[in-house]
Amino acid sequence: MQTLPYSALTNQHISHVYELYYTAFERLRKVPEVRTMNDNDKFCDVLKMCLKEHLSVIPRLAMGILEIQDSVSGDECDRFMTTLLRSRISRRVIAEQHLALTETFHSPWHFDGKKSHMSPDDEFVGEIFLKCNAKEIIEQCAKTASELTAKAYGPDVAIPKIVLQGHLDTTFPYIPSHLEYIIGELFRNSIQAVVEQEGSAKPPPIEVLVCEAAQHVIIRVSDQGGGIDRDILPYLWSFAKGPRRKKRLQNLGQVPQLAATMQELQLPPSDPDVVGATGEKFGSPLATLSSRPPDLRIGIGLPMSRIYAEYWAGSLELHSLEGYGCDAFLQISRLGNRNEVLSTRATMDAV
Amino acid sequence: MLGLRAVARHSGFSRPATTLITPRARHIQTATVKDADIARLAAKPLHPLTLADLCKHGRPPLSEQALLNSANFTLDILPSRLAHRIQSLRSLPYIVVANPNVSKIHGNYVHSLSTLLPYAERRIETLKEEVQFTEVMADLVQTHSNTIGILARGFLEARKYITAKEVTRFLDEHLRARIGTRLIAEQHIALHFSSKPHNDLSDSEHQNPHAQESTYIGVIDTALKPADIIRRCEATVGEICELNYGVRPTVNIIGHPETEIAHIPMHLEYILTELLKNSFRATIEAGMEKEPIEITIAPAPATEEQTRLLKNKPEQAVQHTEGVITNYDQGSVDYASGSNKPDLSASANIRPLDKNTPGVTIRIRDRGGGVSPENYAKLWEYGFTTFNEDEINDKVSGGNGNSGGTALDAISGGAGGSSSLAGLGYGLPLGRAYAEYFGGGIAVQSMWGWGTDVYLSLRGVGKIG
Repeated sequence: MQTLPYSALTNQHISHVYELYYTAFERLRKVPEVRTMNDNDKFCDVLKMCLKEHLSVIPRLAMGILEIQDSVSGDECDRFMTTLLRSRISRRVIAEQHLALTETFHSPWHFDGKKSHMSPDDEFVGEIFLKCNAKEIIEQCAKTASELTAKAYGPDVAIPKIVLQGHLDTTFPYIPSHLEYIIGELFRNSIQAVVEQEGSAKPPPIEVLVCEAAQHVIIRVSDQGGGIDRDILPYLWSFAKGPRRKKRLQNLGQVPQLAATMQELQLPPSDPDVVGATGEKFGSPLATLSSRPPDLRIGIGLPMSRIYAEYWAGSLELHSLEGYGCDAFLQISRLGNRNEVLSTRATMDAV
Repeated sequence: MLGLRAVARHSGFSRPATTLITPRARHIQTATVKDADIARLAAKPLHPLTLADLCKHGRPPLSEQALLNSANFTLDILPSRLAHRIQSLRSLPYIVVANPNVSKIHGNYVHSLSTLLPYAERRIETLKEEVQFTEVMADLVQTHSNTIGILARGFLEARKYITAKEVTRFLDEHLRARIGTRLIAEQHIALHFSSKPHNDLSDSEHQNPHAQESTYIGVIDTALKPADIIRRCEATVGEICELNYGVRPTVNIIGHPETEIAHIPMHLEYILTELLKNSFRATIEAGMEKEPIEITIAPAPATEEQTRLLKNKPEQAVQHTEGVITNYDQGSVDYASGSNKPDLSASANIRPLDKNTPGVTIRIRDRGGGVSPENYAKLWEYGFTTFNEDEINDKVSGGNGNSGGTALDAISGGAGGSSSLAGLGYGLPLGRAYAEYFGGGIAVQSMWGWGTDVYLSLRGVGKIG
């Protein structure tokens, strides 16, 4: 962040985030080498605190970016945002993974001596669910997204059904919260688009195709929501918005957890059972973003989803049939041994 | 050098003096093309053309004056375009241009330029001159009709001396420019044949009786129904499949089949044939011929802006940033064609009417198993690296693609006569060139193990007159 132009950091949101990272750095470097379980516990506490404090980073950054549009070019903002978010995902994954493993270690099952094969933790290695089943996750996301939309638009609006086809038994290792976020965002966009079209009583269904190959899994989401407007198309993947800036800025201010007050710190670590999805143990920022009401459009869903997708060497592509609908293609590498992608595409090409 | 004489003799002209005479000349007058001429014409900046320019002479049947205007307009812009092509060819490595096929093409361009030089300082003032001029145009179209096939063979033979990347770069620019040049010429010819003076001069049997021609302005059909073209292509390709595989896949058209746009039927037919060839072959070879190929026709909604912007020059076309738009480009054609040469190609191509003309997106979905990851990277190359040595030798020695190539390559080799284009892997990149020419594009999304989705977006020519 120190390499951003000075003018960027005069923005209050960005400087707040900067402060957060600085403090975290200070704290972490003071932690001595972990030698005993006690040390580990203390370390974990530090980690947890950092994670909680940084929950508001994403919306803040997004707001900051929109506000400094006049002084910093859109390209640079995007590059900065992308790099930052990627390394953020990386850090959080590492931190959360360690915390999860610690917890498993402490849990009574571990000291049992016999490994219980029924334990659901067998399928989890920390945060990573070894057997993400595409069908289940998609159906779950579909339900959540539909319910959200139904609540927002009222009971008399017909919500399109979500139809699955393809290789539905596919399993692959992934971090469920990431996957749910991406698919959730895609569904939200699709459902909203279909509903906001001059609704007929029977809206056309949204088709989801799961296709499995040796090295990856492709999920295609196809809707008939009218496609994407031409004037937004260039800004689809950018954090630096074009025509819709003002509205986005306002909406970002209303995202829960942005208040950066005691409210954040009061968020209890969520119980895996309570939150419908699996594996959200540390107050995931994604959960709050995902559960925001549908008319709160903050405009970062697609670029964020793409960053998450690309983090494990996957990809997210969108094709719009203007006037008809949209197809989204999410590709997930399933070998699980692909390195995390930290550099941006540009730097990768340069190398 | 020794080589120079041989080349010169082969291409049929020697510097500096003798006039170029070919058997095709008929009564066409030619003048010597000197290097100075080429340099002078190539130095002129290319006039950025719009489709509006092509249609501005009015709806057919054209009056005499309008016809003469069209001829003079064509005369203004063609010579410098040809000169650019010649220069571009000449900038290829010597040994490549020395290849008999490539040098034949070079010679063709020089010949065409030579037919236009006699008109250099004159304007076309009479009908008689105009008729002669139209013959010159016809000769141009005729001469260059096999350019792609011959060039392809030439590059294949010379592959040791030029990298695939350079070939792709050159071909991208050259073929796109070729689309424009041919369009200009064919447009004038079509306008000529549907003009009043022509109808008056010829007797009734020679007149064009087609009722549908009333929607045509030259080669542009203002009421083109993509669904019709799809059905036509489906029939052609389907027959070939039946002939060779015994089965043919079916095509389902959904969306808005009654959509009409203003476009050039020839182009659309080429693109769709190529795409359907790919889909059909993949479907059959994956054993999925019972599954229909689903084609969605999605018309873009027209906006009120269009009619307002119709008059303005396309300079206001938005320049999009790199990396934000894929080659499925809904912006200006400059971006799409400028991928290789940002400054030159931009002006060489015909711009669409403006960025907001109504268009159509056609999505072709098949269950043919998709494109393998290794091939995906090579999809847009001009057929260079997808063959092994044996196959190349077969093709070079004039085989019609039967040996080594897959069945459908042989089909296209056979059905298309001497043109073995499809077997050389030109279909997709060429199709994309045609689509992008007027601001559209082709995007290919493969689901390896399932099938492929192809998105063809076309920008309409817009409301004219």
